[in-house]
Amino acid sequence: MHKLYTFLKYTFITLWTVFIVAPFLWAISTSFKDFQSVNSKVTYIPWLDFEPTLEGWRVLVKSPARGGVDIVEPYFNSIFVTCTASLISIILGTLAAYALSRFTFKAGFVRNNDITFFFISQRIMPPIVLSIPFFIFLSTIGLLDSLLGLIVVYIVLLMPIAVWIMVDFFNRVPKELDETALIDGCNPYQAFYKVVLPNSIPGLIVAGMFCIIFGWIDFFFAFILTFTEVQLLPVKVVALNSSITPWWSLSASALISVAPLIIVAFVVERYLSKGNLSGALK
Amino acid sequence: MAKIDLSNISHTYNPSDPNPTYALNPFSMTWENGKRYAILGPSGCGKTTMLNIVSGLVKPSKGKILFDENDVTNLITEERNIAQVFQFPVIYNTMTVYDNLAFPLKCRDFSKEKIEERVKSVSDTLRLSSFLNLPARKLTADQKQLISLGRGLVREDVAGVLMDEPLTVIDPDLKFRLRRNLKEINEQYKTTLVYVTHDQNEAMTFADNIIVMDQGEIVQVGLPKDLFERPKTTFVGYFIGSPAMNIFESEVSSDYSVKINNIEIKTNSNLSKIKDKNVKLGIRSEFINVAEKEGQNTIKALLTRVEDFGNFKLLTANMGNFVIKSKVNREMPISNGDINLYIPPEKCCVYINEKLI
Repeated sequence: MHKLYTFLKYTFITLWTVFIVAPFLWAISTSFKDFQSVNSKVTYIPWLDFEPTLEGWRVLVKSPARGGVDIVEPYFNSIFVTCTASLISIILGTLAAYALSRFTFKAGFVRNNDITFFFISQRIMPPIVLSIPFFIFLSTIGLLDSLLGLIVVYIVLLMPIAVWIMVDFFNRVPKELDETALIDGCNPYQAFYKVVLPNSIPGLIVAGMFCIIFGWIDFFFAFILTFTEVQLLPVKVVALNSSITPWWSLSASALISVAPLIIVAFVVERYLSKGNLSGALK
Repeated sequence: MAKIDLSNISHTYNPSDPNPTYALNPFSMTWENGKRYAILGPSGCGKTTMLNIVSGLVKPSKGKILFDENDVTNLITEERNIAQVFQFPVIYNTMTVYDNLAFPLKCRDFSKEKIEERVKSVSDTLRLSSFLNLPARKLTADQKQLISLGRGLVREDVAGVLMDEPLTVIDPDLKFRLRRNLKEINEQYKTTLVYVTHDQNEAMTFADNIIVMDQGEIVQVGLPKDLFERPKTTFVGYFIGSPAMNIFESEVSSDYSVKINNIEIKTNSNLSKIKDKNVKLGIRSEFINVAEKEGQNTIKALLTRVEDFGNFKLLTANMGNFVIKSKVNREMPISNGDINLYIPPEKCCVYINEKLI
């Protein structure tokens, strides 16, 4: 029975790994092919099946004047916008979540839970509903087609995630911890940043991870709110396509787009495997 | 170290309600400097609310709190300089044991030498010295509670140390030693200690004065002896002592005596001014003796059970609907069937409307 279980477990894990890794291997292989190797017949292994070329990668860093599609600038734009928006969202979201978790708010029939739901409800709406309001808003304040404008919009999108995760996290931090800090001589702000916040690092990491993922992969708003001045990576990757689909450079750009998230996943995984996320408070 | 005055304090958790239910009914009390107090009562009687009001975590709906005659009612916890230990260990997970103990002093800008000296002294008392450099989260539950306790004791200048059932998670052996340590600390530093518990033995052995609470009401404040011999209400009689006080429905028959099941029992209480003739007679099982024959103040009852506790025997006897419990010397020979129980008049407590006359 035990052996069968182990066998099934490993079989499943193997299949799942193949399912996850195969597209990446395929993309890596494709990124080194040329037109001939992609379109003539199915080829897999470099040097045996086809002659590898770096053309697919070179195109990505060559300036448009020399026949390339420079994705370096959009790449760093994306990193800048995502990181800045995530950081601000985490800071504001954590403060909001702490208040929602620790203090009682009353405004008419509105209570703490309603406010928390209000934050989450921002994500329930289909993004397209927000596109026109955002467009008008950004054009009114003159931030259309700018990094700052995108950061503002992304904060609106990411903060609900931070609030939602952190409210739940703070609710699991015993109130006695804050009270003890107050008794030990902290004022409420010190109690928050000296005691509660260090205990909430796992929560902050999870919230940060979600913010970075959702910020990084957004195509819709980047597409609608920017034109020529500023471009983000997802928009640029889509713009690579032309009448002849350049599978090689699409594959290469897909790989480098995913790379930062893979790094984030490895960092977070270390915390997950240490058990720091689940058992932080017991 | 301070004298703590609670003046006309009352508290409700739903003040906007037109008929609010009170977690604490109005009361006044003074905690003298350097004494040990135990607050004793069943769960939900308002003990924790009282502590939180003193420490400032809860602002009372009405009334004033004075530390050495200074009104601190509107001061926040941080400004009150008070220490509080909770029932379950609260530690700063991200710090070492040393930093946990030093935290209250660091927050108040004590010098480095002073911090080191105090942490050393407290960690020696609590036997935490060998763990000082470990991360606090690696310790066991009872060690963590010692850290909480240590943080409460590390400041010498506190107005008082409030402890909310602090020894619940600690094993019995250590519990006993810690209680003695707390007493020593109190004697050495003259710190006012307030100790909340629902364990009467803990309260009796620890405190100079015991405050018994029930349903948001302070029912009796006194020395362990008073609580035991002269409980002010039947609740105290039930709650303190093991087994609980014997309490019988009875009727006033003359100025100094009551009748139970038509048997006249003399008491030392003057009952001449009582209008309602229905009263209750309370007597501790420790004070009921077995008599050789019937006589004044004896009750004839049918022995139903004898339990040998090693150091004493507990007799249970029935007289009609009444159950009488008596603690007797274990050497005493007990015969089955009817026995005569003698009730000493000076130990009788008469209650009218559950209150002592």
